[in-house]
Parts: sequence; C-alpha cells; structure tokens
Amino acid sequence: MKRYIGMRLVYLLITLFVITTATFFLMKQLPGTPFDEEKLNRLPVEERQLLYASYGLDQPVYVQYVRYLANVVQGDFGTSFTYKNMPVKDIIANRIGPSALIGLQAVVLGLSIGLILGIIAAYRHNSAWDYFTMFIAVLGVSVPNFVLAALLQYYVGLKWGLLPVAFWDSYENSILPSVALSVGVVAIIARFARNEMLEVLQQDYITTAKAKGLTNMAVVMRHAVRNSLIPVVTILGPIVVNLLTGSLVIENIFGVPGIGSLFVDSIKMNDYSTIMGITIFYSAFYVFIMLIVDMLYSVIDPRIRLASGGE
Amino acid sequence: MQQQEKASLDHLFRPASVSAKEPEKISRPPLTAFQDSFRRLRKNRAAIVSLIILILLGVLAIIGPWMTSYTYYDTDYSAVYKAPNADHWLGTDKFGRDQWARIWEGTRISLLIAVLAAVLDLVIGVAYGAISALVGGRVDNVMQRIVEIIIGIPSLIIIILLMMVMEPGIMTIMLAMVITGWVNMARLVRAQILKLKEQEYVLAARSLGASNTQIILKHLIPNTIGIIVINTMFTIPSAIFTEAFLSFIGLGLQEPMASLGVLIHDGYQAINTQYHLLLYPAIVIIAIMVTFNILGDGLRDALDPRMRK
Amino acid sequence: MKKKWSTSLLCLLMLVSLVATGCNFSGDKGSGSAPGGTAPAADGQQAKKESVINLSFENEIKDLNQFSTSDNISFSVLNNVSEGLYRLDEKHEPQPALAKGVEVSPDGLTYTFTLRDGIKWSNGDPITAADFKFAWLGAMNPQTSKGGYAFILSDYIKGGAEYASGKGSADAVAIDAKDDKTLVVTLNQPTPYFLRLTTFILYFPLNEKFVTEKGADYALKPENMLYAGPYKLTSFDPASGATLVKNENYWDNANVKVEKINLKVIKEQSTALNAYKAGELDRVMLSSADVDTFKNDPEYTTDIEFRTNYIQFNTKGEGTSNLNIRKALQLAYDATILEQVILNNGSKAATGMIPVQMSGVDHKSFRDLQGDLIKADAAKAKEYWEQGVKELGKAPQLKLLVPDDSLSKDLGTFLQSEYKKNLGIDVTVETKTVKARNQQMDEGNYQFGVTGWGADYDDAMTYLDLWANHTPYRGNYENPKYDELIASAKKEVDETKRINMLLEAEKILLAEDAVVSPLFYRGNSFLQKPHVKNLIFHPYGSPVEYKYATVE
Repeated sequence: MKRYIGMRLVYLLITLFVITTATFFLMKQLPGTPFDEEKLNRLPVEERQLLYASYGLDQPVYVQYVRYLANVVQGDFGTSFTYKNMPVKDIIANRIGPSALIGLQAVVLGLSIGLILGIIAAYRHNSAWDYFTMFIAVLGVSVPNFVLAALLQYYVGLKWGLLPVAFWDSYENSILPSVALSVGVVAIIARFARNEMLEVLQQDYITTAKAKGLTNMAVVMRHAVRNSLIPVVTILGPIVVNLLTGSLVIENIFGVPGIGSLFVDSIKMNDYSTIMGITIFYSAFYVFIMLIVDMLYSVIDPRIRLASGGE
Repeated sequence: MQQQEKASLDHLFRPASVSAKEPEKISRPPLTAFQDSFRRLRKNRAAIVSLIILILLGVLAIIGPWMTSYTYYDTDYSAVYKAPNADHWLGTDKFGRDQWARIWEGTRISLLIAVLAAVLDLVIGVAYGAISALVGGRVDNVMQRIVEIIIGIPSLIIIILLMMVMEPGIMTIMLAMVITGWVNMARLVRAQILKLKEQEYVLAARSLGASNTQIILKHLIPNTIGIIVINTMFTIPSAIFTEAFLSFIGLGLQEPMASLGVLIHDGYQAINTQYHLLLYPAIVIIAIMVTFNILGDGLRDALDPRMRK
Repeated sequence: MKKKWSTSLLCLLMLVSLVATGCNFSGDKGSGSAPGGTAPAADGQQAKKESVINLSFENEIKDLNQFSTSDNISFSVLNNVSEGLYRLDEKHEPQPALAKGVEVSPDGLTYTFTLRDGIKWSNGDPITAADFKFAWLGAMNPQTSKGGYAFILSDYIKGGAEYASGKGSADAVAIDAKDDKTLVVTLNQPTPYFLRLTTFILYFPLNEKFVTEKGADYALKPENMLYAGPYKLTSFDPASGATLVKNENYWDNANVKVEKINLKVIKEQSTALNAYKAGELDRVMLSSADVDTFKNDPEYTTDIEFRTNYIQFNTKGEGTSNLNIRKALQLAYDATILEQVILNNGSKAATGMIPVQMSGVDHKSFRDLQGDLIKADAAKAKEYWEQGVKELGKAPQLKLLVPDDSLSKDLGTFLQSEYKKNLGIDVTVETKTVKARNQQMDEGNYQFGVTGWGADYDDAMTYLDLWANHTPYRGNYENPKYDELIASAKKEVDETKRINMLLEAEKILLAEDAVVSPLFYRGNSFLQKPHVKNLIFHPYGSPVEYKYATVE
C-alpha cells in the first residue's frame, strides 16, 4: 500500500504538470488581451507595446511559460490583471474561505440527509417514505439551484425575515447559500444510497446476519451501509471539489465573496495569472481528492485491489 | 437396437423415451432477457404512465408550435410581458413572443440535448470506465490520470477556443459536452466494476473459461445498470443547463432559437414580477425529469435480474 | 463502528468551524481595527443614532490604486475618499475643492492653481502642490500606469504624450510645483473643459513618501492608503464591499452630513431588490422587467448617463462597405421601442451620437443645438436598401456581432426582428464573448456590431475623437474632412466656433457617411428610500458623490 501511495504521489505531480502546461498554452490562444481593448484602442501603438512589455507579454509564449514555471516553483503566482496590484495568492486565499465554508456545510448537510433518506427509502422499499425520498431527489436535480436559491431568499430572507437576504457580514449569511447548494447533494446521495442499499440488502450475508439474530437496525448499520458506500464515495469526490471551490450562481445570488465567480471572470477577462493560479489550486485539490477516494475504496471494501498489476 | 431388445424382453412396459435434455425442460415459454425485462416493465404502472407522459411531451414538442397561430420568433412590441390569456396561452416574453410556441420549440431542443447527453454518457463513459477497471494496473492508472487532466484544464477555456473555430449549433454543443460530460459516469462505472470484478461469481465464471467480453456483457454491465441509469438521470438536467450556458456565451443556439434552459434563464431575470416566464418552462422540465426518473427506475428494476419476483 | 461514524462527523464539524473562522466576514466587528487616523469611536456618540447609508455596487471594487485603476466602481469609491483641485457640484459643474482658485492665461494654455489653506491628508500631513505633480506623473508613467487611462492626462499636458510613450523624460512634462501652494500646468491646446478634467480620479493628489513607503502593498488595504476626501475607508474587500466613514481632516468636514457609508457588492439585480425591500439597502437599480411594477412608487427615480449604445458599421465589411446599405440599416429600426418597451428604464431613444444633456455652448446642450440626425423611416430604409442591393449586384448576407451580456443580446434580438419586419431580411445575430468580440472588431473581421461608449468628460470631443484614429474597431472610417474638423476643433480657442466644428463632425459621421447608427442613451431607474436625500450621481467620469448626501 505504501508503495502504491508513493507511486500515486509521483503521478500526481506529473498530472499537475501536464494540466499546468496545457492550460498555459491553451489560455494564451484565447482571443483578446487581458486589458480593456476598447480603452486600449485609444492609446498610441507604442504605449500599448509598453503596457504589454511591462507584463512580459511581448515575449514568445514558451519564454513566458518558462518564466511562469520558475516563479511558481519559488512560490510566486504573480499579480492579477483585473485586480491590478494584488498577488494572485492573496486573492485566492481571500476568496476560498467563503466558498469553502458554504461548500463544506452543503456537503455535510447533503451527505447526512441524503444518506438517511436513501437508507430509509431502501429499507422501506416501495413505501410512502420511498416515494417521498425519490420525489425530493427528482425535484432536487430538476429544479435549477438558482431558482431554489431565489425562492429561499424571498421566503426565508424577505417574507419571514428569519435570515439575512444576502451579503457576507456574519455566520448567518452562510446558512441560506449552504442550504441551496445542499439540495442537489441530498438528491444525488439519496438516489445512489437507495440503489446500492437495495442491492446490498438482497445479498446472502444480510440474510445470514438476520438469521443469526441481529436486529434490523444493526444489520443495516453494520453490514449494509458500509457495503453500499462505493458509488456514494465516488460521486462525492467531484461534488466535494466542485462545492468547495465555489458555485458561481449561488455566490452571485447571495452576494458571497467566493471563488466561483472569480474563476469564470478571470477566464472571460483573460486574467492570465489568476486563471493559472486557480487552475493549479483546483486541479491539485481535485487530484488529491481522487487519490483519497481511490484509497477509500480499499478501506470500504478490502477485496478491491488497486495496486494489482501496477508494479 | 437397444430399444428393440428391450421391447422383446418386456413388451408390456413401454418406458418413456427420455432425451437427455428432458429433465431440464422449462414448461413456461422461454423468454429472452429483453422480453423478461419488458414484461416486468409493463407490470410497473407508474413507469407506463411516465412513458405515456413522456411520449405526450415529445408529441407536443413536435406539434405544439403549430397549435397556435404565433411563431416562436415573431416579436410584438405592443404585447410584451402578457400574462397567460386566451390569445397567448402561456403569456409572452419581453419581446412579445408567444411563450407557448417558444416552450415547445425549446422542449424539442432540450429533449434532443437530453438524449444526446445520455448517449454520450452510455457510450463513452461506460466503455471508458469499464475498460479502465477491467484491465486495471498500469492502463487503469494512465486512463485515470487522463481523466484528471481533462477535468483539470478549465473547460471554459476550451469552450471559448471552440467558439473561435466552430459555427454555433447543435454539433458544437455536442462537441463541447463530449469534452467533460462523460467523466463522472466513467468514474462511477469504474468504481463499481472494481468492486464487482473481485466478487466470487466473476471468479467462478473466469475459471469456467468465460472470455473477458462474456464477463463484461453477462456479469459486470448488468450489475452496474442501476448506477448507470441513475447517473444518466443526473446527466440529463445538467446537460440541459450546460446547453443554456453555452447558448448564453454564444456557442449554442443563437437568437431567436430557444431551449428550455435558455427560457428558464430568461425567466429568472424577471422572477420578481413576471414569474410566469419562469414557471411554465420549469414545469415542463420538471415533468420531463420526473417521468424520466420513474421510467428509469422502472427500467432499472426490470433489467436487474435479482429484482425478479 | 458507530463510534467511528460519530468521530468522523465531529471531525467534519470541527473542519467547518475552522473554515468559518478563516473566511473574513465583512461585518462591523472587523471595521473597528482601522488605523490610519484616530477614529473617534466614542461610546457617547453611539447613543445618538449614527447617520448611515447602505448602498450597493453591481460588480467588484477592482483596484483602488489611482495610477492603474480604470473601472467606474473603483472610481466611485476613490472619488469620495480623495479629491482633486476641483469637484463636481450637485449640478455637475466643477467647483474649487483642494484648490482655492485658478488663473488661466489669455491663450488658454497655462493654468495656475492655488491650493486651499490648511488642507491635510488623513494622517495630518499637509497636501502640497508636489503631491499633485507626483500623482499626475505617476499616472502617465508607463511603468506604473496600467489602466489604459493615461491619455486623460497625456493628451492635454505638454510633454505628457512623449513621457507616456516612454520617449520623453518626466522633467519635460509641463507640471510645475512652484511652491507648496502653487501648481502651474501648461497644456498642448486650449482645453475649455480642463477644469472638469481636474475632477477626474487620475488628477487627484498622492503623497509620494507614503506611496513609496508602502510600495507594492499600496492601496491593497485601508491602512495602506491616505485620504484627502470627505470620507476614508475603514474596511475594504474587493469582492464583498467597503465601509466609508467621515474624514475629520477634510477641509469641508463640517458640510459632510452622513457619518458612514456601507458599500456592498451584489451582482444579482433581483437580490439587490430583495435586500432593498428587507431594508438592507437604501437604493437599488431596477431591471427593465421590474420597472412597470414600481413606476408609480414614490421611491422610484430615474437618471441619465453620458453613455450611448450604437451600431458600428465596418466600412470595409462585405455589404456594409456600401453607403446605401448602411443608411438602410440605420433607418430600419424604431429606437423608441427600445426606450418604451425593451429597456423601459429611463433610457432615451438616440437620434445622434452625443448623449442628451452633454454640454454644448451658451448653456445649451449639444443635442439641442444639433437636433435629430437619425429618425426611423421604414419606407426610406427600404429605398436605400434596394438602391444598395442594385449597386452591389446582390443582397448581402448580414451578421450582427454582439457581445454576450444580456443587454447587448436583447439589442441583437430587437434589431434582428426590426430588420426582418422593415427590410424583410434575415440578419444572423452572432453572439461572442466580450474578448472574442473585441478581437474580431480589432481585426476588422465583422460587418456591423452592437457597442457603446461612455463619456470620460463632459464634452462632445470624448466621442468624436474616436473616429479620427482610423482603426478597424471604429469601422476603418477615414474621411479627411472629418479629421480636419476634429484637428481644428482641438486648436480652436473660440467656444462657439469649436462647438460648430464638432456639430458638423457629428453630422458627417452619422448622416452623411453613416459610419455608426445610434440606439439609445443609457438611463437607469432606481428605488431610493425617502429618508436619503441629495445622493448625487454624475452622468460621467466618477459617478457617485456622497459628500452632499443627508439622512433624515
């Protein structure tokens, strides 16, 4: 196992390197400049050239790439083009907090409610509980989350005045966005958990467990849940990454100063250094979570051998 | 010859002629897996109702626009933001365009996108995941790293680059979705098969000399079908909204064409005062989703041999 | 096993609280720790109700560094925490601010400003003429100026253009800090609107010692800035907003009535409206869809910006190279539909390029002097179209280039439907991301496109100058007569003659050569709480003014 992890860490670095390189060269093909071309249009050509040169953009792309890589290795991610004097590192550090908080709350909320609903639904297959759960699950995916967010904001925030409508002043501000985000998670988790539980509950070892006199509760908790976790963990990996790294729409609706809108804006504005910074951050996180998910497979089901044939 | 001999020995007793196959015979008419599934599906009333509603929606998507005298593109600046009425059954939008016509026009496109996304998932995602898990070892490692790279490179960059070289339209949307749409499915299928391929019955099949293909088709895919069906359910709405996003940045449909995703986006802009613009397309999309889901569940149960009662 | 589950849940919860502490909520708690001036957060004052205004921006506050900033929202903040030699008053006229007055030489080229006595930075240091010189040079220096706005100084100040293009030296720029109180500037041409320019952000002073000391960290945090305006920042986060409190070192401190301004960033209009209804905001911009619902509300107001949205024709584009085709496309849509139906938010149908209310001469607006240049006429449009088609030999296939924001997309849909109705032609709307659109226009790879321009200062030159540079972005337009008019207007001392030249130029650009086609002058509709009075929004430059506001 240790050797497998070691191998994976090496692969992790290679993967990150490929992603960084590919993104850098693709990004440079994006139309336009990182500046406001409409304004730039007014400047004489020499002044425009000076501006490009002051950011090193007059160099060939591979030179820029080597320079960038050298800086990154030293921990310097450059300054943003949009927030002109701010180091990209600081911008990401500032904006990841709010996104991570609502993302994490959404995952915790969604995972716990989703699992409970899914397990109950499977356990009471074809009962009212089952139908209720599946109804929630279908609604959760088919109602776009911006519509749900708007409804939450209107009723909970404005009509009933229970929570702040928007902004980011105190902890209460994080509740509505988290709830809005979690509904999708509940839907997905409940659906997969129910499906797997249904299959697991028909296995022989469940019958054995029941036969040896375990209570239903104990059977479910000890044998069934654990064995139904593989798809849940698989689907949870990307969900965790996506939620923790921000959701553009929810952040905009609730005025959360998160990283979701930063990423989209940076690509739309050709903010090269910010694009690279977030890409490296995001993919490192993703690759790392995937590694954890793969390890969890073996923990959940010891029969799965990832390393087989890998030497 | 033997028979003659026996008859000569004891002509009073006529032993029943038993072929070797006889004891194994099943008296019920034989069913192929498909027929069996279909029989079980037919018994699931909810699934059949869903199928009917889905067909109805499909038919409306085709003939709906022709049921009214208005077209989806004709503007009427004297009748903007009309609430639903006898003339405009579902009201009008900010350009005075008839919502009824637009919604069914949009449903047509969104259904197309939905089917497309599902097919992509099934073809690329399932195959990729299955191969990765089955071959395992180094191949699995490389294939999974490729997935990570695909996810790691921001898809918006690739989409904007696509915009520069391609004409907007369904083909472009499809290509944009090919890039990342299937990844979750691949990972799910891989995880499930990783689990399944260590199970006893696979081992048994293998020791009996079953080929890889047989194992995949007979054992692994059928046991993964539940997850495949469910994930397809989640792929469809996300594909519909991805299309709306693509259309918004100019990669998908161009005005005055509309899809349900685009209509919902537009409706959301007027949510405070003109909520009917959001409500009706949302109802259609929820109807599509609910019926797809129930049907999917029915299919899942029908295809899963263990659910047989 | 059960225990394990609860442990992992506990771990997760702890992780949540850990993240929660690290995500800088911008609540009032944080704003207490603002150095840079000894804020009198006296407990006694808290008993008396503090006058506060809560406002919002629809985008981030991107850059508060005066040298490099270029967006209206940052301008709005800076305009209230700093000040120029002059400041615009409630009627948008420049009034002496940090300067006591000015003497202009008879040829209109030399401006001698005398600074007000006793003006101080928020740290108590005196504001001197040298502070202006430092700031102005920095804004033109290609090393520090990164916002593409250097032209607003370098176009006018002698030696500025050479310095900004890296060829001239700083010493050759004609800004002279004679002594602490006297600033002398020499201009290239007589510029009747120069005093208005001094109200613009890039003309504000900066304290050289402080800026150099802070280096790269300057303007990134409230404590890394010095304030010369009616307010100072106590908290600032680009993505969530800023808090402004009264600057007690400001010379006109006594006339600043509102103690505190809370500025929040909120990108969704529907959210802003909900926050307004919940009492969390005192003013909110309405989206077109909501206007009819609130039109008769006493809290409803509208204003007008100096911003014109228009169609740019590519005079070398396929089909649009033909004058008659362009004229047909100019007349074939009815812009009043935009005003009354599609926008419905106080915007006005445009009949020319220069926005309504922009100054002309003798207290008459430029628009009133010019009258309507373009008026929709479907019949005439059809005639021009047929004429154009005859000249070209076939009807051109047209593609309208549109950026991917909702407003422009709506304009595209509108134009498409009008051309279909009035000319019977099918125009394709080509939606592109802003950057892709800009590149296509820069390369001249378009036929016609929807675009807009906001005034940097209150003079028709801010618009008409654009088409004298012959770039593909401006439709590859080249007409010696037009260039000549612009060039001589820049040199003209006589105000009436100058305006007449500009009037003539606008006429050539629109009516004769049909290079552009006006759509609408931007207006906005708002709801504003009745207890907030005198919140001034300037139609150009640095839009928002809190100095004159009061709360009842």
